[in-house]
Amino acid sequence: MLGIRDVKIMTMTGGTIEKGNVLLEDGKIRACGRDADLSPCIKVIDGKGRVVTPGLIDAHTHVGLSESGVGREGTDTNEGTNPLTPSLSVRDGINMQDQAFEIFRRSGITTVGILPGSGNILGGTGLALKCKGAIVDEAVLKDPIGMRAALGENPKGNYGGQRKSPATRMGNAALLRGALQKATDYLDKLNHPRDEKGKTRDKDSEALLPVIKGEIPLIVHVHRHDDIVTVIRICKEFGVKCILDHVTDGHLVKDLMKRENIHCGVGPSMHYGSKVENKDRDFRTPVVFHREDIPFCFITDHPVVGGRNLILTASIATQWGLPDDSALKAITLASAQHLGVDECVGSIEPGKDADLVLWSGNPMEYTTFVDMTIIDGEIVYERGMYQC
Amino acid sequence: MLVVKGAKIYPGTGAVLENGVMIIDDQGKIREIGQNQSVGEADQFLDFTGKVIIPGLIDAHTHVGMWGDGEGRSGYDGNESVRPITGEVRALDAVNPRQISFAGAREGGITTIQILPGSGNPIGGLGFACKTQGTVIDDMVVKHPTGLKGATGENPKRAHGESQKQAPATRMAVASMIREYFKDAQIYGDKKKKAEEEGKPFDKDLNLESGLMVLKKEIPFRVHAHRHDDIVTVIRICEEFGIEYTIEHCTDGHLIAEYLGKKNVTAMVGPGLSAASKVETKDITDQNPAILARHGVNVCLMTDHPFLNCRYFLQYAAIAHKHGLSFEDTLRAITINPARALGIEDRVGSLEVGKDADFVVLNGEPFSYKGSIARTYIEGQLVWEREAY
Repeated sequence: MLGIRDVKIMTMTGGTIEKGNVLLEDGKIRACGRDADLSPCIKVIDGKGRVVTPGLIDAHTHVGLSESGVGREGTDTNEGTNPLTPSLSVRDGINMQDQAFEIFRRSGITTVGILPGSGNILGGTGLALKCKGAIVDEAVLKDPIGMRAALGENPKGNYGGQRKSPATRMGNAALLRGALQKATDYLDKLNHPRDEKGKTRDKDSEALLPVIKGEIPLIVHVHRHDDIVTVIRICKEFGVKCILDHVTDGHLVKDLMKRENIHCGVGPSMHYGSKVENKDRDFRTPVVFHREDIPFCFITDHPVVGGRNLILTASIATQWGLPDDSALKAITLASAQHLGVDECVGSIEPGKDADLVLWSGNPMEYTTFVDMTIIDGEIVYERGMYQC
Repeated sequence: MLVVKGAKIYPGTGAVLENGVMIIDDQGKIREIGQNQSVGEADQFLDFTGKVIIPGLIDAHTHVGMWGDGEGRSGYDGNESVRPITGEVRALDAVNPRQISFAGAREGGITTIQILPGSGNPIGGLGFACKTQGTVIDDMVVKHPTGLKGATGENPKRAHGESQKQAPATRMAVASMIREYFKDAQIYGDKKKKAEEEGKPFDKDLNLESGLMVLKKEIPFRVHAHRHDDIVTVIRICEEFGIEYTIEHCTDGHLIAEYLGKKNVTAMVGPGLSAASKVETKDITDQNPAILARHGVNVCLMTDHPFLNCRYFLQYAAIAHKHGLSFEDTLRAITINPARALGIEDRVGSLEVGKDADFVVLNGEPFSYKGSIARTYIEGQLVWEREAY
């Protein structure tokens, strides 16, 4: 048992508790509050009035796939040889020794969403993972979280440049629609086998069955407003679920977003207008989403923006009018909801995973340090170990 | 005449002015600056009580206006990498003042920038310094040229050796080509001088003219170097030719800080906040500016826009401060240090009488998230104001 005493606890679901204690047992949060009894603890960390938040969650990264400081050999992000590769699993491409994992722990990030790149219309399944350990299969929190899809410039740029389809947004949509149609027909044949031919295995349709059955969402890369509208149109045609990532132009179609109540991963907000489709990138989208009550979290798209800037992204958002607590929620609880893992992580509540960050002060302040990061009840980073 | 009053002013040089007053003339120059001064007649008063004012920020290494920000390929003019030695090209000829990156710079409190060609070529061309507001680039220029861009390490190797199967394919060739360029410029300079003395006609070589300016110490050589050994190579070559230089990026500087301090190096450190995108940047650390400053290196922070979006220059500075760069050193690293390193400190870099009235109004202390940028002024004119979304 591990205890933390005398801390300001920002729980995300039960308000903020001043001068509270947190009790951790068997990798879970056992109790938190003013009266939480720490007497059975073997070790008690004295918080000295510092702040505890849930571990931060970056819901859209390529950590372990686009390795830091390794160059081309450490790049396994996009299987850019075929625009439809739904049978790929991101789990098979993650290097747990990517130095970024250590930087994430130092930055208070305890859970990440990892997705294939956005070069393909269907890129394979993504997963949620704890930033700990050396074995990917032991670090996985949920796999799959969804099927990676992409619209807009990336797929059409990748393949159009090779004189292959998709070369236009029409081609993007047609390929996505075609794959979903094929998988729908495939499921129909599986359910109503008429002859032996109906039993021919199709790996792509097989991989899309959980999407067609509504078990997992499409996680769709979209920037431009019309791409957002297109993906909603296609998903409705097939009755499949989706969540949206980037959503740079989301504020331009806010009424639709509000009506559909689709969860969005907004970002990387600190990046520049790297493409025409994200030229209007700024903090307008999250601020408008907050005002309109459209559910969203922040994403860094690491390494596009370094994951360690997740907290900085939230700080900057407050300068545009996002309240501090909403900004913090957008990198913890809302991120957990985005990934569908909010039963386990994202807030400080008894029964949830013991993923916590001890901060030297207000987490939003630029000069505040992560003093300690805890994942599943284990201290995975402590400042001082690395201080120079 | 414009009078700014009420704010706490960090002039950048000299003491902090609580309840500061700044009087700006019609040419946009600071006529008076002090505190608790009695203010006479003025056309306009700006009361910034409760706010904080710092000098307009100077980002000493950017590609603002030339990297296709929001424009895609059609707006990309960063690297003339069809051949490795291009001393004749000028960033000034490729900058679009209407690109969103200029608006981003103003939003980030940046009033002056240096714009340099990219790092694809060992000799990349001439850079210049300009203000961040305007529609005609020539009207925005503060100084041209401010330096000759050079590059070492992975980028020139990739742009030429890997992509085009031509030299340089190794670090050895990068160094050799830089050396040969300056040797050629020396010989060219001698010939030119002789022709002038003899009154004979002479064909100008615009590529070597840039090298000659460096050899005559009219402008420094500004060299892209991330890895520690690349930095050391740059210093070696520059000492061979007795030329002035700055180290651009200086990512591994923290590994050889003592050596750099001994050499009195000026380093443009950045882009901060970035992930290690290349092998040569794998040892990037937020502590680099603090470690360099502690060893006596003259540190200027820079965004290398678009590689760090220049809107977030002040946040980068705050993170450098968090990791040990003192408050004063951090403020200097984004104002007066780059002004001096670019040779434009007579006009910008601090709030002093006779200098341009370029300043930023903050809602709180500069390196706090409560100190968001409220307004940016260039030469007394409001060029950006935060509006609610």
